[in-house]
Order: sequence, then C-alpha cells, then structure tokens
Amino acid sequence: MKRSSSKTLRAAALAALAVSCASPGLAPALAQSVAGPVTYQLDPDHTFATFEVRHFGTSTLRGRIGPVMGEVTLDRAARTGDVRLRIPVTSVSTGVRALDARLKQPDLLATAEYPEAYFVATRFSFDAAGGVKEVRGEFTLRGASQPLSLVARSFACRHDERLKREVCGGDFEGDLKRHDFGATFGEPFVGDDVHLVIQVEAFAP
Amino acid sequence: MKKTSLLAVVAALGFASAAFAEPATYAIEPSHSFATFEITHFGTSTNRGRFNKTSGTVTVDKAAKTGSLDVTVDTTSLDTGTAAFTKHLSSEEILNTAANPTAHLVANKFTFNGDKVTEIAGTLTLNGKTNPVVLKAQNYNCYNSPMIKREVCGGDFDTTIVRSQYGVTYGLNYGFPDNVHLVIQVEAVKQ
Repeated sequence: MKRSSSKTLRAAALAALAVSCASPGLAPALAQSVAGPVTYQLDPDHTFATFEVRHFGTSTLRGRIGPVMGEVTLDRAARTGDVRLRIPVTSVSTGVRALDARLKQPDLLATAEYPEAYFVATRFSFDAAGGVKEVRGEFTLRGASQPLSLVARSFACRHDERLKREVCGGDFEGDLKRHDFGATFGEPFVGDDVHLVIQVEAFAP
Repeated sequence: MKKTSLLAVVAALGFASAAFAEPATYAIEPSHSFATFEITHFGTSTNRGRFNKTSGTVTVDKAAKTGSLDVTVDTTSLDTGTAAFTKHLSSEEILNTAANPTAHLVANKFTFNGDKVTEIAGTLTLNGKTNPVVLKAQNYNCYNSPMIKREVCGGDFDTTIVRSQYGVTYGLNYGFPDNVHLVIQVEAVKQ
C-alpha cells in the first residue's frame, strides 16, 4: 500500500511498474544493473525485524523491531554481497507496553547496555536469476555473537519510477535459540526457539 | 461446625462440577490476542500491520465438539511502525476507520481433531461489509496458567481474504495485491 496519496502521473508510472512486476517480468529487472558492486541504503519505511516465540506452547507472541538501519552491497554478476544491519532493540513493540518494558530488562534484550543488535554477513547465495537466496553471517545480541543464516522467502528488484532508482527487497527468515545469547527469562513457559522474519527493502544510489 | 464444613464441601463440589460442565466460556486475553495483516509490496517484501486492541468471547464444548466465537478488533488501534503508513491505511480511501472503527468476526462452526480446534468458519465484517471466512488453526492448545490459576486456550489462526470483497480497492489498478493474509494470535481465559 502507498504511504501517501496518489497523483495521476505516479499512478501511470506505477501502472507501468505493475506490468513489469507481473509474474516472470521480475527476471529482466534483476538483470538491469549487473555491472559491479552496488551499495543499497535500507528503506526505513519497509525494513523491520519481527520475532516470533511460542507462549506456553500455545499461541505465537510477536514483536516488531525497527526500522532496521544499515546498508547492503550486492554484485549480482560476481554473485557476492555484504550486509551490515543495525537493529535498534530499544524500539521493540509488541502492542503491550508492559511486555515491551519487560523485554528491555537485563535478562532479556538488555537494551540499556546493548541498545542495538547487529547482523553482519558476507556469505551470499544467489539463484539462477541473480536473486539473493540465502545470507550467512553473524548475529550479535546482548553483546553475544552467534552464526545465523537468513533464508530469502521472497526477493526481487524493481525500477521505482517515482524514486528513479532501483529498489531491491524481500523477506528473510532465520531461527535462533535465545539462551545462546543469554536472554533466558521466562523459559520454558515462553519458548527458547525464536523465529526471525525480516522485511527488507533498499534503494540503489 | 461439622455441618458448615460439609456444606462447604458440597458447595465446592458443586462449583467444581460447574467448572467442568460444557460448554465453557472463555474471554479473549488482550495482551496475547492480536490480528496482523500481511500484504506483498511490489513483489518484493511483505508489509505488516498489527491491530493492538482485540476483545470478545469464545465458547467451546470439548465433549460435543462445538464452539462459537464473537471477536471485535478495534481498527483504530492499527500499528505498522511507520506513522505515515498507519495514517494512510486508516484513511477514507483504505480502511476508513473513522466510519468503521471495528472489524467483527463471528463464527459458530468449529472443526476439531480430537480435543483440538483445527478450523473455524464464520463471517468477517470489515469496512462495513460482511463475507464468509474460514480460519485455519495452528498450535491450538489449552494450558493451566500458573499466574492466573485458570485454564487458557488459544493458538494461531490464519486466513487469506480478498480485500476487494470488503470494498478495500485502493491501489489494485497499479499492482497492490487483492489478497491479504491475516494472522491472528488468540489466547482466551476460562470464565
């Protein structure tokens, strides 16, 4: 959905874009800028991390953190990449203020001492069309670092007519055990397994 | 004295049997009950928004394998993490939350596998329009909460709605999808 009201010109441009985005039309978009590394800036309106954890073996408790900041460099011809994400854990939002405050305590996210989590990765896998398939790197939470793999559930690049530049993005998912990072409060009633769902969009220069 | 304690025992037994009588009524627990929508953004990432206020009741008869549900979502409690996006979604051209401040889910067809709810069928009223809806249950479970000393039942429920059926058509002509995935976390406390 758009964030601001539509204008006729933009609507026309978006209509053209929608046609180019339709089904297999994404492959040519991916092929557009394949020469050399391109550094993309994260789009703060479309880049959020959500965690999911089971509550008493029953429903899934979710929290949103973001916008996530940082940059991504892709060289789709060389099939290499580099990503550095800064995840502001102080922004954690579950919809319940008391829970947000509890999550920030030293035995969970410890936001006073560690206001940001980080994901740094240089091991990228690409699919045949040049789309990012998997990113393997290191996740740092509460000052503790562990290997983490984020798998793309969707990934595509498109030319944004309004911004006059390429935008790439997708949904990336990974799993961690919170005790590996020392965030153990509430176990076993609240699960140790944490599923991360990261929405990312980023602008080319 | 003896008489009194006997009466107390009888009364306690009476309450106990009342507590196990079916159907049981459960009140939605708002701090563990949230509706989230997911919609694809130009074929790249998924935009999400969460409604922060949900209320209502659920009745479940585990023996008869029947149930009913009446849940109200406060659409003005929408929270996407981006103020401008939340404002636009709430505006007249999309959810029109000023005119339609609630979404309403009513269901009286529960499907069970053993004592677990697997599916709920009913109607969803959104943006003032009502359509049939079927929610699939995942992780349905009941537990005894050590904090409130009562049974809590819940799980994750999801469905995909076609937003144009609710008159929410903004952006369909330039590529925003008609399908919206709803993911609903629910926990409800036995009354």
